[in-house]
Amino acid sequence: MSEFFEMGGYARYVWPAWGIVFACIVLNIYLARRALDRARFEARKRVAMKAVDAQLKGEAAT
Amino acid sequence: MAWTWFHRLGSPPYVYSLAARLTPWFAWPAAALILYGSYLGLAIAPEDYQQGDSYRIMYVHVPSAWMSLMVYTTMAIAAAVGLIWRMKVAHAVAASCAALGATFTFCTLVTGSIWGAPTWGTYWEWDPRLTFQLVLLFQFLGYSALRAAIEDPQRADRVTAVLAVVGVVNVPIIHYSVEWWNSLHQTASVMKLGKPSMPPEMLVPLLVMALGFTFLFAALLLTRLRAEILSRERAASWIRDVVNA
Repeated sequence: MSEFFEMGGYARYVWPAWGIVFACIVLNIYLARRALDRARFEARKRVAMKAVDAQLKGEAAT
Repeated sequence: MAWTWFHRLGSPPYVYSLAARLTPWFAWPAAALILYGSYLGLAIAPEDYQQGDSYRIMYVHVPSAWMSLMVYTTMAIAAAVGLIWRMKVAHAVAASCAALGATFTFCTLVTGSIWGAPTWGTYWEWDPRLTFQLVLLFQFLGYSALRAAIEDPQRADRVTAVLAVVGVVNVPIIHYSVEWWNSLHQTASVMKLGKPSMPPEMLVPLLVMALGFTFLFAALLLTRLRAEILSRERAASWIRDVVNA
């Protein structure tokens, strides 16, 4: 097992390279989901504001 | 009609729900392929007779590099479709590509640099392949910066689309750079005419990783596209049904 992690003496090159790529993958997944969550939140807010606006207008008319 | 699929792809609500339905079909295979490819590449593939185990960097470097070019090409095609047919969804696709492309390009440069240390004896050289790949990173970053600098969204779409389409010239330059100039970087082993110059035990893990990265890109692009569509469709009434669902 330790032989596997030593990578034939190239451990200090192989593992950082793989680590950076996997970190980028995880970061990309996180950022994409956060973008969608934020867009959903903003859209929900806009929809709610519009509903309130419509209600206020209706009350003002009566 | 044969063209109805194309017209449907111009409809934001249709694309939004299609993207939502398709995402898991790309995300889970991507996870499985990348994990299996990593196992094959790190533990099963034989060591290289010349480079020893250092060549295993290839299994993340080469898929990242292919993806950087594929993402740019996708972005340029989407931008062109947006310009020609004035398709809002196409511009949203192009906008969703930039950040993903920048990270794949960054990964290519960093892993290549790390690989260069033991094999070339240097982390960086102003070699054509390396230099044009660095230019590609600046193209992705420049695209995002330009988009952020223009307030009117429709104008931002058009201006960045022109930049993306013009910049696609760098894609063949990067691919053929190792043939056109005397390069420190090796020439193509897989993406060339004829048989790949690699034994199957080394090639299969690479192809598994590359397929995994492609699926990952698709899943990330669809997720970002949904976010992009939601924030663009300000007045549309279908948004209400989507966010309250």
